[in-house]
This record gives sequence, structure tokens and C-alpha cells, in this order.
Amino acid sequence: MKALLFVIRRTLKNLIKGVFKKPILLIGYIFIILFIVLMLVASFAMPSGFIRSGSPGFFTGIMSLVFIFMYYTTLKLGIEKGSTYFRLADVNFAFTAPIMPNKILLYAFIKQVGGTFLFLFIAICQIPNLKNNFALQPYGTWMILLSVIMYALSYPLISMILYSWATKSSGRKNLLKRLFDILALAVAVLFIFSLAKTRSFADSLDEVFNNPVARYFPVIGWTSSIASAAMNGFTPEFWVGAMGMVLLIAGASVVLYRMNLDYYEDVLEGAEYVEAALKAKREGNNLRFNLKIKNKVNQKLSGTGASSIFFKNLLELRKTAFFMFLDRSSVMVIIAAIVFKFIMPSEASELTLSTILFFAAYMLLLIQMQGGIGKEIEKHYIFLIPASSAEKLFFVTLGEHVKNLFDGFILFTAAGILFKAPVNIVAGCTITYGFFGAVYTYGDIIARRIFGRIHSKGVLIFVKAIVNLLMVLPGIIGGAIVFAITRSEFLMISIIGGWGFVLATTLFVFSAGILNNLETVS
Amino acid sequence: MLKVKNLSKKYEKVLAVNKVSFEINSGEIGVLIGPNGAGKSTTIKSIAGLLRFEGEISIDGKPNKSIDAKKIFGYVPETAALYESLSVWEHLEFIARAYGLKDWEETAEVLLTRFDMEDKKEKIGKELSKGMQQKVSICCALLINPRMVMFDEPMIGLDPKAIKELKEMFVELKNAGCAVLISTHILDSIAEIWDKALIMNKGEIVYNNTRDAMLASGESLEHIFFSLTDEEEAETA
Repeated sequence: MKALLFVIRRTLKNLIKGVFKKPILLIGYIFIILFIVLMLVASFAMPSGFIRSGSPGFFTGIMSLVFIFMYYTTLKLGIEKGSTYFRLADVNFAFTAPIMPNKILLYAFIKQVGGTFLFLFIAICQIPNLKNNFALQPYGTWMILLSVIMYALSYPLISMILYSWATKSSGRKNLLKRLFDILALAVAVLFIFSLAKTRSFADSLDEVFNNPVARYFPVIGWTSSIASAAMNGFTPEFWVGAMGMVLLIAGASVVLYRMNLDYYEDVLEGAEYVEAALKAKREGNNLRFNLKIKNKVNQKLSGTGASSIFFKNLLELRKTAFFMFLDRSSVMVIIAAIVFKFIMPSEASELTLSTILFFAAYMLLLIQMQGGIGKEIEKHYIFLIPASSAEKLFFVTLGEHVKNLFDGFILFTAAGILFKAPVNIVAGCTITYGFFGAVYTYGDIIARRIFGRIHSKGVLIFVKAIVNLLMVLPGIIGGAIVFAITRSEFLMISIIGGWGFVLATTLFVFSAGILNNLETVS
Repeated sequence: MLKVKNLSKKYEKVLAVNKVSFEINSGEIGVLIGPNGAGKSTTIKSIAGLLRFEGEISIDGKPNKSIDAKKIFGYVPETAALYESLSVWEHLEFIARAYGLKDWEETAEVLLTRFDMEDKKEKIGKELSKGMQQKVSICCALLINPRMVMFDEPMIGLDPKAIKELKEMFVELKNAGCAVLISTHILDSIAEIWDKALIMNKGEIVYNNTRDAMLASGESLEHIFFSLTDEEEAETA
């Protein structure tokens, strides 16, 4: 065990040393720490129910929905690939060393506790928003963080046990996957029925999730009951949930410790998957699980010189899309943005599509944070094509702009019909959404030039997200001022879109030389 | 030293390794050769204790997954994966701690020097090239002074000097009484050093013979390999 603790200790020490070697990274980290401190202070110190005071049932509903989504996605992936705490280096070195498997598991568990910081950070960022809308208990923030910790500790353990059972035969794997799908479908059907009755998302969330069956439902209900204590106090549901989760985590650990010391194989595929996912991240992609790539699509390679990159990218997009350029991420943005509009309180009804635009742009920021150009600059072809760097940069990013405009068109046309928005608003939102995408794209390139590719991708992604938000902020403030004066949604969108265009063009000019050679991107 | 008896490994419906049996004695270099997908890596991973399997595997008479067995065997995986934030020297220190080694520093220095890595001691995992990562992986496996060591495609990514050095090490290990098992599909890379050849095809050992016996038969390893895996070759051609 001492040897494994040595790995953890030295990893931390070297990470800190690495940051001090690069002043720009140190600034980045200081920036992050300040941001976290600010969010923490805001999470704990700000008053609750500042804007409005949502009902406890609505709060429980939101928490349940979030944990259903998180458990469903992570456990389903776990059944297929065996979610794991381990990296391939652990497999190669620790698994073959004369160390008891239970000690290795304990080491992984300690590592995972560190890993929960990421989840905690994401949660902390949401707390001020929750506090604005709900009158939380004085200890509410702690309860939300506790539920996130319980989730982060439990899902890899459950995944490993499920995977270990499912991997014995494809029949078991399919059975478990179907079971998860049926449960998810049952929730969706219940929700739709409730929605048909109540005609209100908030009321349906309350009706479907704020009942004993949902609150005491193993794992998901337990976790959301812990989170719900943030508003409802220490109810019996909280104690059952907390005890249930503690027993589950302890029990699952014991099962893996005592009954299945031979868990290495279960971990192996998961560890390989983690490496592949991290490699994909480095290249600027999200590793999309079970992504189907079509062999033939009705899209020809065309163009000459730099423009050939654009047509190659279009072909790649078409091969992974459901329809035209509509892929998983598009569907996710579209559904989430429209659901968001439904949930939004009625006072925002004056803005027909702007709230959707802001939310979709925020989602796009999260999706595009990885930076699409990464996959191109990891390969040599782009540097060898006989064309100017600016020309190549334009064409290599054009595919993303086309996709964003296409997604925007689908999203805002559908939303426009649903919420009876005028055509000019639909067009304005579509174009502005495209400009937001362009800002994120070229912002990513600038960030690569400043920070390089070597250090932590997590930090780079975080800094990029904050910088992008800061960059688009003046446009949003300008738009808000114009709206306050004129009450014209179209003018507001035009101001924001105009700012997006100016920003994207400026960023393009600054990043135009990036494809001169490999060194300019690293 | 290494005894594999009726080893079978099934991935869902695919039988990757089917009742494989062989032995590698102390002071012997065994080569596990075969076309892509023959089951070589699965066999090596099973011996390394990374996979569940049917059959028996023992190292020096001890079950391969026991702590006692793990103390005496080294493993160089197909894909070198290092701890991104640990330096080269810290990898070696970790291995020394994990295996309870004493006075390991001198051995570590010698290994690093032989692989031209003595000036890379402070470099961290993610700063190393693939070839350098492979060298660190080999140094870690050899640091424990193993009595049995397995190499899964060890030459991939190495520079010519490192390949030469590694081949010399194989012979040194053999002369020191270590059982060496090398998995590869590049026949030329192990042509001069092997004592026992194990040819795998479609999950089975289709040839298991010593160099002396093969030479006595007047055949070459290359010829035997292609004659036994011909169907596979024709398919891939």
C-alpha cells in the first residue's frame, strides 16, 4: 500500500511543480482557484430564495431528474465498458506487482475521492443558481455537495459489479441494458402522462418524483433524497437515503474485496476505454460511445487545395450524423434547450426565443470546449496542403460553422413553431447561434497558441470556457441594455449577433497563422 | 519455471485461446509467434494475471496470480502506459517499493544507462516519446531481477541501439537462469536468440519445438511459420 500511496503523493507533488514551471499556467490555476473561492463564498454566503422561492417538490424533481440522467448514462456505459477508477499505467504496473488486489482497490478509491473534486466543482457552479430560485436550508449547500460525493463514489463501484456480472455472457449484458432502458422509458412515459394532465413541467416534476416510491427508490432515490435535504431538511427520506448510500458503497466495496478479487479483467477494458477517451480529448474530440459511422453517404469529396478540407469535414460530419448534420450533440442541445424553455418561469415569456438562444449557446460552449480543430492538427496533412494558413484555417473551420447553422436552424425553427415566434427572431437566433459557435472555435485556437498542448487539458478547457464567456459578455450586456430601452427582442439579438460576428472575425485574424507549421499550435 | 496447462480464454462467444499448453524452463528463451489475432497477447495477459481463464498457469510452481509468483516475474506490455505525472526515476522507485526491493538504485542506473535514458530521469511520463515510454517499461520489468519475464511485442517503437541492447539483455537474462517469453510477429527480430518456438494460430499452439530439434529437421522457423499459418496469410494477402 505504501508504494501506491507513493504514486498518489508524487503525482500531486509533480503536478504542483509543473504548474510553477510555467507562469502562464500558474496564472490559469490562480484564476481557477479564485473562481472556485468566489463560487464557494457565493454558494455558502448568498441568501436563499433571492429571486423566487420554488416549491420543495419542484426542487426534489430537479434533483431526481439530474441523478436519473447521471446514473443512467454512467451505469449504462459501465455495463458496456466497465467504468473504472484505473488507468492503463495501474494495469501495467500495479496489477502485475505483488500487491493484494484489495489494497489496489483501496488505492483506486482514494484516487476517486480526488476525482470527486471535478463533480463537486460542477455542483458548486450550480448552487448560486439554485439558491436564487429555492429557499434552501442553512446547511443546504453541504447536502447538495454530499449527494454529489455519494454519486461519484458509488457509480464506479456499481458499474464494476454490474460489468463483472454482465460480462459473463452477452445475454446478461443485453438484459441489463434493456432493464435500464425500460426504467428510463417508464420514467419518460410517466412524465409525459403527467405533463398531459398538468401542462406544467414544474408541476409534473413534482408529481412524478416527489412521492415515496421515487424518494425511496434504491440508489437514484436515495441520492436525490440526500440532495433534497438541502431544502426539505433532515426528513426520514434523507436518513434512509444517506444510510442506504453508505451501506451500498461499503457493501459494494466488500463484494469487490472479498468475493471478486479477480476483478482485473473487468477493469482492463474500462482502463483502455479511459485511455482512448483521454487521447480523443487531447485530439479535441469527445469519444462518443457506440458511435455509428456510416459507410456510404450522399456526400462527395470535392474542392481543390484548402477547400478540399472543408468537403472532407462535411463527409466526416455526414457519416456520423443521423440526418444531414444532425448528430447526438445536436439532438442533445435541441432537446435540452426546448425543455429549458418549458421549465423557465413565466416572467421570461416576454422573450420568445432568446432564453433558448442563451441556453443553447451555453450548451454549445460545453460541447465545443474540446475544440474541433484538435483532431486536424494532430495529423500532418493539414500542414502539407499547399495553401496559405489563413485559407486553410477558414476551410478547416467552415464545416463547424455549417453544422452550427444547421443545428441552429433546426432548433429555432422548431422552437419558433412551438412558441409562435416571428420569422425575424428565428433567423436572428439561428445566425447568432452560428456566430457563438465561431467565437468558441477561434477562441479555442487562440487558447492553444497561448497555453500550448502539453499541460492539463482540464485547466485549458476551464480557462477557455471562462475566457469565452467573458468575451461574449459585452455583447450580452449590450443586448440587454438595448432590450431594456427598446423592448425589442430582435434588436437585442442583432446586437448580440453583431458582437459575435466582430469577435469571431477578430479572433480569426489573430489565429490566422496557426497552420504555418506544427510548432505554432504546440 | 513457467508452466501453462490447458489454458483457454473465451471473450463472450469468441474462443481466443483454446487449450494451450507449454513450458518455458529457467535459462530458456521462448518465443510466442503468430499472425495478428492468433491469441498471443491474450496468452501473455493471462499469464500476467490480468485476465480470467480456464486451465492452470504456474510460475516456479506457484499459481500465477499469487503474490509469491508476482514477486518473481516481470511483464512488459504491448502498450507502454506510464503514470503521466511521475518521473522516470519515480517509476523505478515505485516498482522498488511495490516489490520491496533493497539497494535498487545502482541497478536502476545501469538499466537507464544501457537504454540511453540516464539524462531523462527527471522527465515525467507524459513528456516522453512512445519509444522512451517503452524503455521505461522494460527497465521497470527488469529492475526486480525477475526469474521469469514476459515481453509482449517489445521492439515496437524502439530505436536500433535499444533493440540491440534489448537483444543482448535477453541473452544475459537467459545466462542468468531467467525464463524469458517473448511474443512477437516479427520473426527476424528474434531469429538468433530463441531456444523454444511456440507458433500460435487461431488460438491454438500449432508448433512447439526447440531450436535444436528444428535444426535437426532441416527446416527454418520462417518456413515452418508460413506453412502452418498459410491459410491465414492467404486471407490477409
